[in-house]
Amino acid sequence: MIAQLSIATGFLLILIGLYGALIQRNILRMIVAFTVADTGVNIVIVAVGFMAGRTAPILDAAVPVADAAARIIDPLPQALVLTAIVIGLGTTALMLAYAFKLYEKRRTLDIDKFTDLRG
Amino acid sequence: MTSPLYIIAVALAAAFLLGLLREQWRSLAYPVTLAALAFMSWLSASWLWALASGSASPVDIYTAGTAPPFAINLRMALPEAVLTLLINLTGLFSALYLKSALLARGRRGMAVLLVAIMALSGIVLTRDIFNLFVFLELVVIATGGLVLLSDHAHALSAGFKYLVVSQVISILLLIGIIFAYHATGTLNIDGMAEAVPGLQNAGASQAFELAFFLMFIALVAELKPFPANGWALDIYEAAHPAFSAIFSAGAGTAALYAVDKLLLIGGPAWLDMATGVGIVTFVAGNLLALPQSNDRRLLGYSSVAQIGLILAVLGQRDILGEDTYFIAGGLLLSHAVAKAGLFWLSGLLAGRQLVDWADLRERPMPVFAFVTFAAMLSGLPPFPGFYAKWELVHHLAGSGRLVLLALVLFGALIEAGYLFRWFGYILKREPPGEADFCRVIFDKPHRVLPVMVAVAAGWALAFVWGELASSLLGRSNLLLALPLLFALSFLLLDWLPAWVKNSLAIAGLVAFFAATWTDYDALRMIFAIIFTLGGALTLLASYHVHGRRVGFYPAAMLMFAGMVMLIRADTSFDFFAAWELLTVGSYFLILRGKHSEPHALSYILFSLGGAFLIMAGFAIAAQGAPQFALASLAHVAAPFAPWVFLLLAIGFMTKTAAIGLHIWLPGAHAEAETDVSPMVSGILLKAGLYGLMVLLLAMGKQQLYGIELTHVLLWVAALTALLGNLMAVFQEDAKRLLAYSSIGQMGYALFGLALMNHLGWLMALVFVINHYIYKAMLFLAVGGVAKRTGTREMYRMGGLIRLMPLSFIAVLVGIIAVSGVPPLSGFGGRWVFYNAILASDYRLPMVVLFLAGPIAFLYLFRLIYTIFLGQLKDELRRVKEAPFWIVLPQMIYVALLIAFAVVPGLALHRVDTYLNQFFPEGGLSWAGGEITSNYGYWNPVAIMIIVGVIFCTVFAWLLFVNRRAQPVKQFNIVFSAERPFRPETTHFAWNFFAPYRKALGFLTQPLVTIFWTTVTDLLHTAGDLGRRLYNGNGQTYAFHFLAFVVIVFFLVGL
Repeated sequence: MIAQLSIATGFLLILIGLYGALIQRNILRMIVAFTVADTGVNIVIVAVGFMAGRTAPILDAAVPVADAAARIIDPLPQALVLTAIVIGLGTTALMLAYAFKLYEKRRTLDIDKFTDLRG
Repeated sequence: MTSPLYIIAVALAAAFLLGLLREQWRSLAYPVTLAALAFMSWLSASWLWALASGSASPVDIYTAGTAPPFAINLRMALPEAVLTLLINLTGLFSALYLKSALLARGRRGMAVLLVAIMALSGIVLTRDIFNLFVFLELVVIATGGLVLLSDHAHALSAGFKYLVVSQVISILLLIGIIFAYHATGTLNIDGMAEAVPGLQNAGASQAFELAFFLMFIALVAELKPFPANGWALDIYEAAHPAFSAIFSAGAGTAALYAVDKLLLIGGPAWLDMATGVGIVTFVAGNLLALPQSNDRRLLGYSSVAQIGLILAVLGQRDILGEDTYFIAGGLLLSHAVAKAGLFWLSGLLAGRQLVDWADLRERPMPVFAFVTFAAMLSGLPPFPGFYAKWELVHHLAGSGRLVLLALVLFGALIEAGYLFRWFGYILKREPPGEADFCRVIFDKPHRVLPVMVAVAAGWALAFVWGELASSLLGRSNLLLALPLLFALSFLLLDWLPAWVKNSLAIAGLVAFFAATWTDYDALRMIFAIIFTLGGALTLLASYHVHGRRVGFYPAAMLMFAGMVMLIRADTSFDFFAAWELLTVGSYFLILRGKHSEPHALSYILFSLGGAFLIMAGFAIAAQGAPQFALASLAHVAAPFAPWVFLLLAIGFMTKTAAIGLHIWLPGAHAEAETDVSPMVSGILLKAGLYGLMVLLLAMGKQQLYGIELTHVLLWVAALTALLGNLMAVFQEDAKRLLAYSSIGQMGYALFGLALMNHLGWLMALVFVINHYIYKAMLFLAVGGVAKRTGTREMYRMGGLIRLMPLSFIAVLVGIIAVSGVPPLSGFGGRWVFYNAILASDYRLPMVVLFLAGPIAFLYLFRLIYTIFLGQLKDELRRVKEAPFWIVLPQMIYVALLIAFAVVPGLALHRVDTYLNQFFPEGGLSWAGGEITSNYGYWNPVAIMIIVGVIFCTVFAWLLFVNRRAQPVKQFNIVFSAERPFRPETTHFAWNFFAPYRKALGFLTQPLVTIFWTTVTDLLHTAGDLGRRLYNGNGQTYAFHFLAFVVIVFFLVGL
């Protein structure tokens, strides 16, 4: 139940993000929309790895190695989500840098003003 | 062997090292970058060598010491070695090319470049889907950075658009990956592929399909499919050319291989989608490239199109089987090397318009580089794309996928269209002011080197693919063909003076004939003599050109090489390769004329269009057979045979300029140089006739929907003869007149062939010989006159008989021969022709052909009368006879014509006997000096004597009667109450046949020209409409992508 709810939330965020990215004309708002969508993706990833009634994938005294496979949740999506977060951060940073440069050059953040190359 | 992991490790280490480098060692940064890239290239190359030679076997590298699915694994096999080598070398030479930009931006830029190349290699090497995603994101981020190396004003906005769309793509990819993992429990690509068939229930399997769709569409989007590619095109246009080279060659390659891996998981169900997206992109990309005027944007569209084609090839692997990688690899490597080369080349030029490339004019090396790249892209022999296209078309035809085949050829033709148009700009347009090209070369050798390396790589690949084709598929390696090598050797000898090269060329042609003449049967012998000895004879005229004449001999010898390879070919592959070579060679020759840019373009387009039909015809005929001998055309099965016949016949008729396909000829032949016109008219046209002969001998009469196709040919031939002659009548330009007359003459020859009886064929062969002799002679004579008078308009000449007597004799003899009156050889042709008519049952087309005869008299009379008779123009009083080397071959032709008229049996007797095996009835009997048919006899010597006696008698009588005649003085003319309204209309020769034009002019309406102009206009309009999709807005592009996903989703119908 929790898993389904989280996945639904994640997808909702993704849709909100994509909608924002396609509708907002302001470049900064577009970037924010993308981070919302990224967050949605990350939630979906984690939620996919979730298994009800299991514990965190940390092998210590509480979870002996022998029956770990039956008691912990899938650790892989959590590892993936870390990578995804880092990449998302990198991309967002790069886009922000671009936004800064674009503003510096044209004194505007309206995406409609940057259509010089076409056809 | 060094572990391939070091490709990634070294790049990362070097990138970090650059970041940590102390300030005072900053100058080391660039060498470190180059060294790292060189090491990566070496590593790929050593693996390629080891894997190809068999001294190493493919390896899997387990990064964490454990096998998948518990750790990421990389693989190095032959495809990976080839592709990483390509990527790393592109990176290395682009880094070299980027020297000044990188040094200006500092070491961080270099680190980003290293990461980009590393990530591209990683995409190729990895077998883990999430790892693939990570590398892909690294490429995106690195691209975002490297775009800014450019000085282009809009690089910034282009980079941002790219990032926006990439974000959307990566969201879809990530969702797809996580659900695919959820369904299969692994991230390993091979593991996923194994797990898919074992999915528990329908729900899981459907969920996986959906996840796979998302992954797949995201990776396909990295190939920039139409219409979701506006963002990529802006990168191509705005980025530094060296980065565009990486973007086109490297990123395209990596993404293609990623899609290929994914297809492994998805299985055959997804092949159709790959094919569909690929072929739509190929056609649309080329169509959109057509109206472009910016060079880099055009290259961008072309890149998009090429990668689309390769995607379509990957989608056809169900029928291509083992040949998939041979075909896709050939296309991919051709594309990558040529595109990288062209992008690098574009950086040497200041202007961004296509016409600005005229800067390269007069610079043989860059022009040669451009030719190499354009030929690679259009899949011309001997480059890999040629072998690849041949195999692809054969597989498609063998499996009945004809729509796809047609689309592939259509797209390829458009692509050739804009590439050759561009080449025409380079050679024929005025350079846009002060070219700083020279300075660039001397200042920046690091920018020239990569281009040269790409050229060398292109030729090396041509050899390698030839070897592969011969070892895997039993084709011949074209680069080992002696005639082609001889022609190419003139590229290296181009520094020699023209007369030396001319002597070498003549010696080569004669020696080739001497060495091979025993190989030919009677039919081929005629063509062999015309192609080699005839070629040598026309080359005599080329001695009149002084200087080095750069580029002439490689082109001319390429054409001759193609022609001799054509008659020596036994298999359809060799035949077609020779056909393409002679087409390309003659194109370069024709393009040399001063005003021949548009005509050369229409020549190459018609020729390539015809060539594609021929290729399709052969492919359908072969029906998947690995080898197809020309003789097997006789055994093509029933439903295909008439179609094969139709395709091949139309293909060959583009070369003989049958009516409807003729519009390239007048301009091409008339605008060509003086000594080129006889070659392309007298000799080249025969290649088309040879093709038709091979076709008709093998396939004979074919019926399509109850219509006899040879009967259709008869009509086409008759109309060609009639309209060709008619149009010749109304020309003012002497060389155009001759060109139109060639169309008519080819109509006669085609008519003879289409009669499909003994005498018809003999007549065609008489025309082959005659047309070669007199058309070469007339073109030389008229060319000589035009050279001396400085014009080709006949009304500007007149009265030249005393000043150019030898040219006069040549034209006189020529027109007697053409018109077919006794005593010269043309009469022989007519005599055989009349006999052939009597032996045949097709009356109506024959009437049409008869009509054409008298019309020929009109233009021939005009030719001699308006040039040599009448009043001499004031400004031409000092004109001298044509140069010796132009007159000499004419005199030899005069002798040949007379000889052929007196002893036609020398050439025809053997052919007559030879034809008996195909058409046993209706042969001639050759007794003594007399030739007898069923209807009468012909004694050439007697005719010669009789006509000679009559001529001398009449001539003597005329001299006697006219001994007191007075020549009319210059101003002794009256306009009979007519007031001239334009200066030229005062000359009697202007609009010489005005009354006939009034009567018959409606037949010469340029309907065909209008038709073909409309076709090209429509294509341009389609391209222009397509361009409106790309409005420059990044959000719109993201929307395009999502719309693309939705449309494909519904088409796939999950």
